[in-house]
Amino acid sequence: MSSRRSSSRGNISEDEINELISKLQALLPSSRRRGSGQASTTKLLKETCSYIKSLHREVDDLSDRLSDLMSTMDHNSPGAEIIRSILRS
Amino acid sequence: MAGKRTTTARNQHQPPPSPPNPNPNRRRRAAASDPAPDERPSKRMLAFHFLRALARIHSTTPAPRRPRTIRRAAYSSMARAASPRRAWTQALLRQARARRVVARSSRRAVLLRRRVSAAAPPAPPLMLRASSAGETSSAPTPPPAPAAVAARGPPPRQAGDPARADALRRLVPGGAEMEYCSLLDETADYVRCLREQVQLMQSLVDLFSAQRSSIAQQPNQ
Repeated sequence: MSSRRSSSRGNISEDEINELISKLQALLPSSRRRGSGQASTTKLLKETCSYIKSLHREVDDLSDRLSDLMSTMDHNSPGAEIIRSILRS
Repeated sequence: MAGKRTTTARNQHQPPPSPPNPNPNRRRRAAASDPAPDERPSKRMLAFHFLRALARIHSTTPAPRRPRTIRRAAYSSMARAASPRRAWTQALLRQARARRVVARSSRRAVLLRRRVSAAAPPAPPLMLRASSAGETSSAPTPPPAPAAVAARGPPPRQAGDPARADALRRLVPGGAEMEYCSLLDETADYVRCLREQVQLMQSLVDLFSAQRSSIAQQPNQ
């Protein structure tokens, strides 16, 4: 049920909302698999929520891995030197 | 990952992020709704902020607390690199600031609490959650949801799908107070930046692990 009661808001038109929703749909990974037809708003919002949650989880996971790697990182490798010099300047 | 090095090399020519733009830009963008170039998060700025935070973390934070600090630094650097006139960046930076302020003053309170082992902390709920997240808990902290900040009023009346947008509001920083239309816009930008941040972190992980394995193979180490 993708009905939107946007009549209460005079300045936001339904077209704008549709456009925003389609932009959001284009960002989701599932939109590339499908022919990107008009999915229902509910599904779209749910997908967006799960996508954001999965991205959060990835950030968590990558932070863990980064912290592990940082503890064992060699400080004198050329890569670290480059990064250090760039950050210093 | 030579690409990472070149992007950080270009940071030398990149000026620091400009102060927030005046409001007309926002209205114009909302009306035109075209993907302007400044809507895309700059990868250089992302790399710059995050690497800087990583360097600081490496020198200051002890090992057990690092994953959490890195995670927070990821969100903060993402918010700094993105456009400052975005509501989600402002909300993220606000949360980070509040957390820093509270963490400083709450360390003493936490020590007192530990000694006295009182049931009720002598602090607002914000301090409790922030201190428990920063100091004592070993449980995974939730993503920087707006619920962590002091409780705001009830979400404003909105057109559209209140129940379904609710979950989205919890996920997007600062989403609790947005109108439905702004929420969609902010979500799109937030997702874009999140994706870039994840890619950046993934490249860093690859870079570091490649370095580590290449070092392990050197005979004179």
